[in-house]
Amino acid sequence: MHQWDFASVLDNTDALAVGALGTLRIFAICLVAGLSFGLVVGLGRYSQRRVFYWPATAFVEFFRNTPVLVQIIWFYFALPILMPFSISPLAAASLGISLNSAAFSAEIYRGGIQSIDRGQWDGARALGMSFLQAMRRIILPQALKRMTPALTNRAIEIFKMSTLASAVAYVELLQQAKLIASLNFNPIEAYTAVAVIFFVFLWPLVQLTYVLERRLARDE
Amino acid sequence: MAYQWDFTPVFANADLLAQGLVNTLKVTGASLACGLVLGLGFALMRLSRQRLVSWPAGFVIEVFRTTPPLVQLFWFFFALPLIAGIEMTPLLAAVVTFSIQSAAFFAEVFRAGIVSVERGQWDGARAIGMTHGQALRRIVLPQAVKRMIPAFMERAIELMKTTTLVATIAYTDLLFAANEIAQKTFRPLETFTVAALIYFVVITAFSLLARQLERHLAVSGESTVH
Repeated sequence: MHQWDFASVLDNTDALAVGALGTLRIFAICLVAGLSFGLVVGLGRYSQRRVFYWPATAFVEFFRNTPVLVQIIWFYFALPILMPFSISPLAAASLGISLNSAAFSAEIYRGGIQSIDRGQWDGARALGMSFLQAMRRIILPQALKRMTPALTNRAIEIFKMSTLASAVAYVELLQQAKLIASLNFNPIEAYTAVAVIFFVFLWPLVQLTYVLERRLARDE
Repeated sequence: MAYQWDFTPVFANADLLAQGLVNTLKVTGASLACGLVLGLGFALMRLSRQRLVSWPAGFVIEVFRTTPPLVQLFWFFFALPLIAGIEMTPLLAAVVTFSIQSAAFFAEVFRAGIVSVERGQWDGARAIGMTHGQALRRIVLPQAVKRMIPAFMERAIELMKTTTLVATIAYTDLLFAANEIAQKTFRPLETFTVAALIYFVVITAFSLLARQLERHLAVSGESTVH
């Protein structure tokens, strides 16, 4: 029977704290970059002009239909060959996760915008608003409400995806667990601790999406 | 100076890439099959009125949905063998992890599907003397499963993308094979580009198939659950 020994993990809380900071940093970068670029791509997918529609569609299809780990590896090992500079693990992982999240959130934005009644557009245009004004003041505020559960889900996915950065040796929670496990020969406790940290952090967020989904279903 | 693209070293190793793709499909297929069976079990447990049955299933589902897949994989590969005192191969660890993980997602799809079948179907089945198990197997599940097909396909595609994580525990899937070729030939740009394209083609083919099937179901007037 295995003797659980979490003391060897607790001795390394400073290493875990460094990892947690790394996880939060890449999460924040990818959340902001992914969801804002996703809006741009989503508008492109919504557009009736081919110059916007086709590049946005190609982008979405490509990044949705390739694994995010392949994207990260590509940005880390392949892209620097074409560039005159090297790419840090953080940059490669952020690029992969952000672009992937942009592709997925673009479809959420497009669906949300399309779900708004045509009359809202007509009304806004009748008041003399330009396309962008109507979008910003009338359509998006309504659409965002409907999109909140899906976007929160995306945020949770981004948080989970941040562990993939360990594949290019970016210092985050899982990478630190690897380090602790190899120094103290305690993989059981190290990986269990990290799983628990993620669970404790994400579980309330997951519950929040359930609440949001239910509230939305009731309001509609 | 512009970079000179050269794909010949990659094509010279096409057999390695093919083997990698076969292994990717193997992990995906095995996890999908086990995940479906296990997922149905979890769903039935979760629908049970007995808390002793429904709670453990709920717990497993929540844990596997809210922790990162890579953490789960590392746990099953590095930690479980020490606890259980068993030998663990990368393939086995991957199939176990992805089976339970997909089961956690499938369970919710099964549950939604079963709940979506009208109450009257149950009553009718019971009225002609079927037991609960018979009613579930012969009346409710066949109707429910049809509605769940799009959600299953979507999940299967997600699963195939997730299997790339096995490369981190040195199982020779497509990504791992590409990595080996890149190191051997010093052509990471060409190798990883080709690998990405292979994934793109295979996954796009599956997505189109899924979309076709969904349209077919929509035409036959079937409502679907997600």
